[in-house]
Amino acid sequence: MPEQRKSFHQELAEIRDQIVELGALVREFIPRGTDVLLTGDMGGALSLIDADDEIDALTLRIEEQCYSALARQQPMASDMRSIVTAVWLTGELERSGDLMVNVAKAARRIYGATLDPRLRGLIERMSEEASRLISLSLDAYVERDASLGAALGDIDDALDALHGDYIEAIFDAHSGQDLGLQPAVQLALVGRYYERIGDHAVNIGQRVQYMVTGWLPEQTGAARLRARTSFSVVSADEAAARAAGLDGSSAGEPDGSVEGDR
Amino acid sequence: MMVVAAVVLSGTTMVIGTFVIVLAAVAVVMICTRRTRQRIEARLGGSLDRLGIERTDLDADSSLDSLLSRIESAVRQSRSAGEQERRTIGRLQEVLDTLPLAVMVVDATGAILERNIAAGAFIDARHSDALVGALVNELLAESLAGRPAERTLELFGPPRRAVVVITRPLGVTGIRCAVAIIEDVTERRRLEAVRTDFVANISHELKTPIGAIGLLAETLQAEDDPEVADRLARRIQTESYRVGRTIEDLLELSRIEIDETRVADVVEIGSILDEAADRLRPAAEQAEVTIEVFGAELDDALRCDRRQMVSALTNLLDNAIKYSDPRGRIEIRGEVSPQDVVFSVTDHGIGIPARDLDRVFERFYRVDQARSRQTGGTGLGLAIVRHVAVNHAGTVKVESRLGEGSTFTLRLPLSLLGAHEKAAPDSSLQSDPTSDLNSLPKGPQ
Repeated sequence: MPEQRKSFHQELAEIRDQIVELGALVREFIPRGTDVLLTGDMGGALSLIDADDEIDALTLRIEEQCYSALARQQPMASDMRSIVTAVWLTGELERSGDLMVNVAKAARRIYGATLDPRLRGLIERMSEEASRLISLSLDAYVERDASLGAALGDIDDALDALHGDYIEAIFDAHSGQDLGLQPAVQLALVGRYYERIGDHAVNIGQRVQYMVTGWLPEQTGAARLRARTSFSVVSADEAAARAAGLDGSSAGEPDGSVEGDR
Repeated sequence: MMVVAAVVLSGTTMVIGTFVIVLAAVAVVMICTRRTRQRIEARLGGSLDRLGIERTDLDADSSLDSLLSRIESAVRQSRSAGEQERRTIGRLQEVLDTLPLAVMVVDATGAILERNIAAGAFIDARHSDALVGALVNELLAESLAGRPAERTLELFGPPRRAVVVITRPLGVTGIRCAVAIIEDVTERRRLEAVRTDFVANISHELKTPIGAIGLLAETLQAEDDPEVADRLARRIQTESYRVGRTIEDLLELSRIEIDETRVADVVEIGSILDEAADRLRPAAEQAEVTIEVFGAELDDALRCDRRQMVSALTNLLDNAIKYSDPRGRIEIRGEVSPQDVVFSVTDHGIGIPARDLDRVFERFYRVDQARSRQTGGTGLGLAIVRHVAVNHAGTVKVESRLGEGSTFTLRLPLSLLGAHEKAAPDSSLQSDPTSDLNSLPKGPQ
């Protein structure tokens, strides 16, 4: 296509379309990787690992376009937030793709192990849940729906609960001598990978909130930190003990903490 | 007197002079008008000729009037031609929109010139469709450079799909553009797989036991030890039973396929449930599985082929028993919902993997080959169930989770209900099979 001067808003739309494409690639990876794991399809594992390069290349391309837009256009306010959000999202999505590559690699490591139906069922369900979360996070992004973005944290609870059941099922299978230690550990990691994808979707939701409203998820954490440090005019020993985690009280671990996934 | 005469004379001269001047002016104007008119005529005639508008017999001369009527008729013609063209374009657009394919035409900059409704799904799309859109753009760029392109995209969805994108350069109009055709080939591929698998499976199911019988018989011939001979004979028996069952099921299946119009019995829903459950009780006891019947008290009358319905439910129960763990529980349920009559069989066994769910109703389809040898099924049970459902204008669906169990649900239309009063003239229904046929919405075959 002939080189032509694009308007800034065209450029923003282009960045958005590419994020949508990246998200679609990553979302495809989830059922694909699950299929590889459940069928022991080594050809599929290899092709998935290779296909990750495509995701990496697209991620780089989007990032570069974002940086160049920032440098050339010096955007303000919501335009600025859109671009910054896009950069963040590439990271979250690319990492989610990598997690599915890890699933494919785990499938190679446990090749030949038989998984009992309960484990397989739970893996299928975690995969569906993770894929649903990524879909919803992208819907929130495209529709600039801050409320959906904010809801993802609670939607993710279902996946966390499944992850809990899954770990229990691994213990059961292992103690029943149906599952060796090595595949059991690999499978536990696989469960973690799905669970992490859910967390990335939650992060995307928060970034969307930021894009739409300017609200920064870190602000609550930062405010807590400020509050903590300003109260820390107590003895230096206590402060040191707290920092070392010897405090014992759970005051340092606020519940319902925001995902600190940097 | 002289003065008066002179005045009168000069007055006459003035009148005459004025008259002459007016006459001359009129002559000049007439000459000029004529010239102008001739020029207009010549010019108009020339342009009409150049535009290729032919003169008709009616306006053969080149007077202004006839020229104007030529223009009129030419405008009328082009208007009706334009109208016709618009109609043709509208019709073609409609045809494009009814296509199950997505079609779009882009110009050299990639801007869309034409597209049908189906193509709309891939514009500003999200998720899997966004990937199709990206591939379409990539292939269109290729075709705008003059090369035809084609690629198949496997999408894991959900739902899992296969999409073929074909692009071709277009150049008839002299303007460089390209067309993209996007086709969803998921269903076609599934049918191909069904066909090839069926041929492979049927030969496996029939040839394996027959081969075994041949070999066993051969060994038996040369065997002296009565104990071994007895064992061999028993194996022959088992294998021949297996072949027998497969053939029986195949015959049953083809009977159901042919017999699709025979819906004659009027049966209480509860009695169908009871009959099916009773038939399978011995097998269930052997497998240490309990069958619970819900809805046995339902006395709503259902117009159906009793044998087929019982056969469908026993097949579902049979499967449920085979894939349940010992001490498992199976529920068979009948109910009348506001929308339809529902039969369902639920087990809490091993379940069916998601990727096999839409294929379990195929003949001889096996989720797990090894296990099916062990359970001794023929692989036709669910195919029979599906045919029974179709014969009764109903549907059958399965929901399953690995490790948690499966639920098969058979739904029949409410129109089959409520022939309780007419229960007695069972024979009248049979005597006029066409009335039966018409009252039933026919399902797709």
